[in-house]
Amino acid sequence: MIETGIPKLDGYLHGGIPEGNSLVYYAYPGVDGGVFGMQTISHAVSGGRCGAYIASSTDPRMIRDQFMEFGWDMGESVFADRFTVVDAFSGLIGADSQERYVVPEPDNINSLTQCIKQVIEEMPEPGIIVFESLSTVMDLCGEKETLDAVLEWNKYAMLYDHVMVYNFTAWPYSEETLLQVKGDACNSVVSVGGISEKVIFGWYFGLLKLDWAEMIRKWVLFKILKPGGVRIYIPKILVTGPFDAGKSTVVHALSNRAVSVDRLGTTIALDHGHIDHNGFAADVFGTPGQERFDPIVKLLSGEAMGVFLVLDSANATGFARGVRMLEITESFGLPVVVIANKQDLPEALAPEEIKTRLDIPESVPIVPAVASAREGVFEAFEMLVEMVMGVN
Amino acid sequence: MVYNLGISRLDELIGGIKGGTNIMMIGPPMSGKDDITNSIAYHGLIDGNATVIVSTREPGKNVLDWFESRNLNILMEHIGIVDCVTRTLGFGAPETENIKMASSPVDLTGIGVKISQFFEHFWMEIQLRETRLCINSLSTILMYSNLQTVFRFLHVFTGRIKAANALGVYVIEDGMHDEKTIVTLKQLFDGMIEIREGEDGYQMRVVGLTPKPTQWFDYEIDGVNIILRG
Repeated sequence: MIETGIPKLDGYLHGGIPEGNSLVYYAYPGVDGGVFGMQTISHAVSGGRCGAYIASSTDPRMIRDQFMEFGWDMGESVFADRFTVVDAFSGLIGADSQERYVVPEPDNINSLTQCIKQVIEEMPEPGIIVFESLSTVMDLCGEKETLDAVLEWNKYAMLYDHVMVYNFTAWPYSEETLLQVKGDACNSVVSVGGISEKVIFGWYFGLLKLDWAEMIRKWVLFKILKPGGVRIYIPKILVTGPFDAGKSTVVHALSNRAVSVDRLGTTIALDHGHIDHNGFAADVFGTPGQERFDPIVKLLSGEAMGVFLVLDSANATGFARGVRMLEITESFGLPVVVIANKQDLPEALAPEEIKTRLDIPESVPIVPAVASAREGVFEAFEMLVEMVMGVN
Repeated sequence: MVYNLGISRLDELIGGIKGGTNIMMIGPPMSGKDDITNSIAYHGLIDGNATVIVSTREPGKNVLDWFESRNLNILMEHIGIVDCVTRTLGFGAPETENIKMASSPVDLTGIGVKISQFFEHFWMEIQLRETRLCINSLSTILMYSNLQTVFRFLHVFTGRIKAANALGVYVIEDGMHDEKTIVTLKQLFDGMIEIREGEDGYQMRVVGLTPKPTQWFDYEIDGVNIILRG
């Protein structure tokens, strides 16, 4: 099994791509699907696998730089024996190539096939072969010719237990071609799409096809970070709770960068932070806690995908206000995690004790935390992310 | 939503170009198409538009220099350049706020991604609702990819221009392509700026944006302005 290294995707693939199988990242025009293939091969190679990257629209001298932009150092000497760039580009512009594998005529499918087969044969152990852009191959060599070749490459790779991965951009090819790419060409298809209204402003991925296990039909939002690569993205997590429970501290403890609109240390408008943790990215919005700001709390809560309710574990008088704030945010039905903050104070109640005093559903988890020391907050974040992913 | 080219006589005759319009600019080599394209981009910036320029012949830095060196009173953060040249030459220049790198003119997927990223940035983050896209030039792209491939690419992006109520300007070298290529591409555009060689220099006219083609005008390039005569 070769993992993709894309957060959540390996779970949906039931652990990764089994040896001898193939996968296509089916991206819509304007959506950056290419990074999926790059992340997959860099994850595999850094995990000890052999990998070949078929460069069809980029000068091979630039390939390693492109990986480096995401923080994946494929030029590192330890990878030298395991990572190969197949030059299917230089022949197009008549340039010389320093690569070991060069396709002399990239616009001739037989020339490409010959080189791919050589790579398949010479890879010393079961590894992964990733195509930078199958659509470019298709543009150069023809739709039918390329699809026939894909079937041939996949069969040939199966003999050697290699995994084949294709980045494909779904330009308006013939319907038959697009159906075949999504259908019979590979064992699995991951759709990489964009949410658009006037412009594309969000990205998602999900499985379209999986033939080696039961398919999980879920769509997840993602962002691409440099460095970092694909990160599951939750556009809005709300952090609410009574006055002085430590909401701003939670936002700042979780965030790589955060700002607060406050006066004399009390939040009077909002806190905003961006989290990048363990393959997941999220924007968090903290509300004020005082009752006079309740109209702002309601405004801030729109379109939240999950909620943290922050409580001061040492101040039980605020618990009822905390539950009331959940009502104000109209977060009923959304995933909620209670952060039992200030667990370092001597009079702090244990999470079990807090649960008995709160009028909230039994299923809502309570996580002990000391936000000022960044303890417990990431456990709470991971828990909430799992719940959000489960809902969506 | 109405756009002007910034070429006053033509703008008067056209009476404003409605949002979602795609224009082909076709003319012979050395006729000043780069300057005319940049001038259209510049006047958009003056009007508060965002501008995305896809450069297939000049490194992005050179295009940016055209704007910076003229000490223009424009917001540089409203300019986005998709550079299809620098990495083709084997130079590993990093991306900047103004310049995003496509791998090569073959990399239509990458070019498309970078255009989309700039559109999203201008629309969502800076909240500019009027954007110009200038592709200079389609001829270079056509040197690397076949007509069908370029047509597919343009089919998607002229559609995006319409969806975003933006203005698209696409430059083509006259005489470099056969008639079939030009006729095929023309289907995608709402109008043309045609340039030809006249007796005293070059002339331009607009076709398709007015009830009938405008007359041919002699023109000269005066800094960032295009001055029509006649």
